[in-house]
Amino acid sequence: MHGDGRSRRVVVVPDVVVNPPEGAHDRLSDLALSGWGVVALPPPDLPADVTHPLVAAAVEQVIALLDGGYEVALLPCAADPGMRRFVAALATSGRTVSDLA
Amino acid sequence: MRTVCYLAHCLLNANAKVDEGARCAGIYSPVLALLRDRGCTIRQMPCPELAFAGTHRFWAVREQYDTPVYRAHCRRLAEPVAAQIRADLASGARVVLVGIDGSPSMGVELTAASPEWGGRPDKPRDEDYPVSLGTGLFVETLLDLLAGVVLDVRAVGIGQDLLDYDEPAELAKLEAMLGEGAGDAR
Repeated sequence: MHGDGRSRRVVVVPDVVVNPPEGAHDRLSDLALSGWGVVALPPPDLPADVTHPLVAAAVEQVIALLDGGYEVALLPCAADPGMRRFVAALATSGRTVSDLA
Repeated sequence: MRTVCYLAHCLLNANAKVDEGARCAGIYSPVLALLRDRGCTIRQMPCPELAFAGTHRFWAVREQYDTPVYRAHCRRLAEPVAAQIRADLASGARVVLVGIDGSPSMGVELTAASPEWGGRPDKPRDEDYPVSLGTGLFVETLLDLLAGVVLDVRAVGIGQDLLDYDEPAELAKLEAMLGEGAGDAR
């Protein structure tokens, strides 16, 4: 491995961070400035047969990042249904990640 | 009209790129700034290579990934994305697919292809990277799944995987694809 400019730091974020309501603070741009990459969870209003495979894909990607030695954190948002599904699905794989400090 | 942009995963997470392929620390700010300026809704597509081959993968060409198992993996990931796109189109939104030109998986107009690549990974990335016209395997799968509505989807590739990557030119291409008044409301 030769490396490049990547941060090796990734944060899992709910859709509301990627698509904030008009007038809300743009946390995604903050994360960009501080060098984080993101794994974005699906919006909460999708049907289950769409949401579940998207959350499963997010879990698979986070596991690949963890296995590669990358730092992965959660943007705390327990009220978000997508985040709750993600945390539960990740737990069934035997993995956990901490909230972003 | 609302514009929904489906981004290649690595545009929001350069950590998913193959080693030596990241052009930024994490989120590719120029694209984010452009999409924010245009009021676009942003969706991040899964990275098919990250979950399949991990972070330690070698760079590869399309032929090396082109197996039934990888195609099935792409299809499994693309199906819910296609469902989202169909729902967005049905709601009257304009949909723009933003891939990565030069990628064996996410290329839109250009991919990496060569029947010669294989065996010992002795191909330096900065020599003879075999770019050719064509789509990457994930994008091809996604467009197949959008049969019937695919002509309603705009698609553009940001050439981050090209050796002669020209950021201003690539951003101009995306800007042109978004058109005037891209995202009037979320």
